[in-house]
Amino acid sequence: MKNERLFEALSARARSESPPSVDVAGRVIAILNAEQNRIEQLTEKPLLWLAAASSALAVPAVVVAIIVYNASTGPLYEISQAIAWVAQ
Amino acid sequence: MFLSILPGRIVSLRAERLLVEFVYSLMDSEFVAEDRQKTNASLAAELEDVRLSRRGDSDAYTRLIKQHQSQVSRMLWRFSRDPLVHEELVQDVFVEAYLSLGSYREKAPFGHWLSRIATRIGYRYWKQIARRGETESFSLAEWDELPGKSTDDIDPGRAAEMLHRLLAQLRPRDRLVLTLRYLEGCDVAETARRTGWTKSLVKVQSRRARKRLEKLFAQAGKGLRG
Repeated sequence: MKNERLFEALSARARSESPPSVDVAGRVIAILNAEQNRIEQLTEKPLLWLAAASSALAVPAVVVAIIVYNASTGPLYEISQAIAWVAQ
Repeated sequence: MFLSILPGRIVSLRAERLLVEFVYSLMDSEFVAEDRQKTNASLAAELEDVRLSRRGDSDAYTRLIKQHQSQVSRMLWRFSRDPLVHEELVQDVFVEAYLSLGSYREKAPFGHWLSRIATRIGYRYWKQIARRGETESFSLAEWDELPGKSTDDIDPGRAAEMLHRLLAQLRPRDRLVLTLRYLEGCDVAETARRTGWTKSLVKVQSRRARKRLEKLFAQAGKGLRG
């Protein structure tokens, strides 16, 4: 088959071709560093949101706790507790 | 040579030739041993760089890139002859290789592993082109202008360019197997290794691709000098 023989001969010839020289080291490292930063940011973000949400919940809980504590340790509450004990 | 001028020609020419061959073989074995030592040392250094790269050492990975980029570049020049695309493909190979360094088992040299990634990336690029329906122009007229008896006078770059344009008319699968078998000069086993196909699939695919190539020549209107 003549076509195939020519194809093979051209292929053999093409094998000795030298490609253009490239130096991609700097760009590859830059891409990998950018990718690394992106991944770090992605993993940090959910933690930041979690911290913010738990702080937002914690603040009113602490306020309520202080109010309840103050109410339960007032003089009127102590008198009512003493009456209840005597009544028993 | 000097032995043949000894008085009485004690040593025959045949014996002299054997002696010379023996001396050469001794010298060769020394060179081979030296080469092997160098190869082992460079492989060990390369493996160390791979391990350091896995731990995030960018200097080690830079060394690996510098060591293998010409080999990867040569392979990917078969997949795209546009210098910008070619450079981007080479870049993609090293980015993808870094991201999958964990899957490198260290059983074969790092270069072999890279060649599989390069083939996969080149093939993926061809499939993208095929999906977009982009085809490069192709004419058999250029083939008819080739010198009659020998292809030795053709510039390798021109030969590669012609083959690139011809193979671009085929489906990516056919193009891949013909590129690896003919342009890269890979045998069946090497083609199977690079593509991840079985050897029998490579054989079947090669046969089909050759038939499609022949059909392409026929469709183009003329058999070359046929």
